[in-house]
Amino acid sequence: MTPSTRADAAKRLPAPILQVKDLQTQFLTHDGIVKAVDGVTFDLYPGESLGIVGESGSGKSMTALSLLRLVPDPGKIVGGKVLFRDQDLMQISDEEIRDIRGRDIAMIFQDPQSSLNPVLQTGFQIAEAMLAHKKATKQQARQRTVELLKRVRIPAAESRVKDYPHQLSGGMRQRAMIAMGLANAPSILIADEPTTALDVTVQAQILELLADLNQELGTAIMMITHNMGVVAGLCTRVLVMYAGQIVEQGPVDQIFENPQHPYTWSLLKSIPRVDALRHERLRSIEGLAPDLLRPPKGCRFHPRCPFRVEKCLTDLPPLTEVKPDQLAACWVTMDRAKKEMGADQLLDIRPGAASGLEPGKIIP
Amino acid sequence: MFTRGTLIYIGQRLVLIVLAVLGVSSLVFLGIHRLPGDALFSEHLHGDQYQQTLHHYGLDRPLWVQYVNFLAGMIHGDLGESLVNRGVPITPIVLREMSVSAEIGLVALIFTVGIGMTFGVVAAIRQNTWMDYVLSTTSVIGYSMPNFVIATFLILVFGIWLDNFTQGTFYFQIGWPGRYGSIGAIWLPAFALGFPYASIVARLTRASMLEVIRQDYIRTARAKGLREAVIMVRHGLRNALIPVITILGPLVIGIITGGVVIENIFGIPGLGKEFANSILNRDYNIVIGVFTGYAALVGLANLGVDLLYVVIDPRIRY
Amino acid sequence: MAATAAAVVTRPIAPEQASLWSDAWRRLRRNRLALAGVIYLTLVVIVALVSAVWTPYSTFQVGVGIPYAAPNAHHLLGVDGLGRDTLSRLMAGAQISLIVGIGTQILVLAVGVPIGLAAGYFRGAFDQVVTFLINLFYGIPDLLVALILVFLLGPSLTNIIIAIAVTRWMDMARLVRGQTLSLREREFIEAARAAGAKPAKILFGHILPNALGPIIVQATFGVPAAILFEAFLSFLGLGVPPPTPTWGGMAAEGIVTIRISPAMVIAPSIALSLTLMAFNFLGDGLRDALDPRGRR
Repeated sequence: MTPSTRADAAKRLPAPILQVKDLQTQFLTHDGIVKAVDGVTFDLYPGESLGIVGESGSGKSMTALSLLRLVPDPGKIVGGKVLFRDQDLMQISDEEIRDIRGRDIAMIFQDPQSSLNPVLQTGFQIAEAMLAHKKATKQQARQRTVELLKRVRIPAAESRVKDYPHQLSGGMRQRAMIAMGLANAPSILIADEPTTALDVTVQAQILELLADLNQELGTAIMMITHNMGVVAGLCTRVLVMYAGQIVEQGPVDQIFENPQHPYTWSLLKSIPRVDALRHERLRSIEGLAPDLLRPPKGCRFHPRCPFRVEKCLTDLPPLTEVKPDQLAACWVTMDRAKKEMGADQLLDIRPGAASGLEPGKIIP
Repeated sequence: MFTRGTLIYIGQRLVLIVLAVLGVSSLVFLGIHRLPGDALFSEHLHGDQYQQTLHHYGLDRPLWVQYVNFLAGMIHGDLGESLVNRGVPITPIVLREMSVSAEIGLVALIFTVGIGMTFGVVAAIRQNTWMDYVLSTTSVIGYSMPNFVIATFLILVFGIWLDNFTQGTFYFQIGWPGRYGSIGAIWLPAFALGFPYASIVARLTRASMLEVIRQDYIRTARAKGLREAVIMVRHGLRNALIPVITILGPLVIGIITGGVVIENIFGIPGLGKEFANSILNRDYNIVIGVFTGYAALVGLANLGVDLLYVVIDPRIRY
Repeated sequence: MAATAAAVVTRPIAPEQASLWSDAWRRLRRNRLALAGVIYLTLVVIVALVSAVWTPYSTFQVGVGIPYAAPNAHHLLGVDGLGRDTLSRLMAGAQISLIVGIGTQILVLAVGVPIGLAAGYFRGAFDQVVTFLINLFYGIPDLLVALILVFLLGPSLTNIIIAIAVTRWMDMARLVRGQTLSLREREFIEAARAAGAKPAKILFGHILPNALGPIIVQATFGVPAAILFEAFLSFLGLGVPPPTPTWGGMAAEGIVTIRISPAMVIAPSIALSLTLMAFNFLGDGLRDALDPRGRR
């Protein structure tokens, strides 16, 4: 779709289908509490496709798993609400959440090799999703499985139904996973890095498939990824997560054009671009992902941020509206960084380099 | 499930089993015939009568002739005659006893795998609860008890105390009615035979189930909204079974050999009882015959285990 | 995920040998079941030693009590069918069990360790032959082979130990071979080789000491297996010949008269089970204590 229709889609937003409020998920380890998801708040609108971006360990997968209460041991959801159709998914009974899983909110995972059961036929694993919610009789389920496999463009779907996962290629396995996710025509599909384990060409096909299904079926897609390129190709809105928190959110066009959080800015700088100017260098982000056991004081990104100021070291910036529809959690924001610190011409991206606050030093 | 390749594989294995049976029985034959003294020593025969008997069994000929005759007989399925009961052919006896031993072994195997896996799964799902500790400790006790000790206590409880307690209305009758026995006569010996191995299966199932429930596909199954019981049985257990089958081979051998003891305690007319009797009676021909029967039983059981792999794990094809 | 990465606790990579052993000992002492096993086994050893010089009644003398008498003040565990004191025979039976259990393991160690070391270190044709033999022995029913061996060799204590060792040597050989295979690639072995050490020096001076933990565990589990085997053989009438008391043999005699005198079969059964259990608990404890990953 063209940028203008995408922007329109982002503007004409109906009532949200899913509202996440102050979600908190923690892991109790021997060494202390890890706040994997720390006060995440966002809305998901019907039929949209929302990207959640972040490095590994940023809490994006844990956010997704928390929505369906699938957090693995020793993780616990300790606070927050997830409102879906007037009920709080965090409060309803185990039986009720089980009913919602796979029927209203489906989830597909990163590695189709390990996420499909090796000893069960692929077709059965898809049909099972329908049978679990009594959406179909056995025969209907079998028939619909073939339709689904055709829909996700698996060639010779009729004969593939009886194949075991190990008999399919990586791309086909991921298509089968998507078919499984779509089996009950859910209103939300959460895709956790669905393309990471695949070849680049296959990645593109899977993304195209997801985009088409999003358009045709009106299923809202929540795309978890570390890859900004994936977001650009598929999503209308994006959340950027860092160290368990949302640092920026807004329409994809706006954010790609004008990121306001230095972390988003760095992420976008690290994408190779064909249209980049000669002198623009491809950049990686300095420093390591934060230790969630002992997160830094103040803004969590400050130990890696070239634009940090005194306040960043002590106070945690709240997520505030910096532009229409665009929220960022930053004391400085990129507008100011560009104006006052010459961010566009910046060559030295060591922490504190642009602002002059102890350049190169990691301040915990 | 069974492709043409599998059938060819089965054929090859059967040929190997026949060769192994021939090899084993030859070893036993030659081993026994190297023993000092002769097979008829205990019969106290003299003179002509002795020579006659020797001739009847072909024992007066050179060893290599005896061996060739033995092999020729084996190939025709003839295991010769009993040395103690003259004129009684061994093959039908061994075949009948094989069926009895296989029957009791099979029931024991079902007990072993059934009890072992149930306990193992429960211990895994309830990991680090009192139930897990009780089951884990019981399983150490289980495999530390020789099967004859278990048999003894079972006989005490079900054969004697229950008899006394119910004034003879309910009790376990030791014995073996008819050719194939009866459920009432089988369950106790089968339990005694299988229990030590059930402990091992339980430990292994627990470990492999703990491994399996951490797998990604279990998370996928949860995300589909399946019931926890369905997830554990359909998605967990089948994968947890795979490492359990790897010990099924030694386990089957253990059950077959354990039968030697259990059959003697419970008076079951199987290979094991015959084996002990024939060794004590020095009826060498039957010893060889029974050993041949065991070799065949072990070979077939191992083949069965290998075929089970194909049923459980679709990634394995022969 | 972050949580799992954070949960990985850093450990010293190569603890010194001395601290490894004292560490293991400390962990073993904390394992109550293993400790109970050690205490019980010490008791069994004491009883076996004492029974060599003193038992309440003579082990062999018949008619010291009324045949099939139930346990009473004079005969704490009753009297057997020939009027022999069951307690005295039980005490003496501990000797046979321990001799068979430990004797077999000495034999298994003497055969399995060198074979495993050589197969794992030199690889090649010798290793292939050894691997084939190991697999072959795993495929045959051990009890039946032991039975036929005892039958062919004749039942005596030595022959029984030989027969059991023949059916069990491959447990040790397989373990040692595997350990050697992984140890021979380690830097300190490379270093020793580069320094010109002879194979025998490398095998026994460097590889063996580092494989000692698993070997000890395997040997500990091997003892109850051998005791169990001896009991089976005795139970079937092919053990150490009467009138030497063995637990398996006593149980076999007792089970025939279980209705008249249950104590005759219960006493040796319990003694045997407890001994096997104690060894297994000790083995479990040793494995947990000696496992460098300290898995629980």
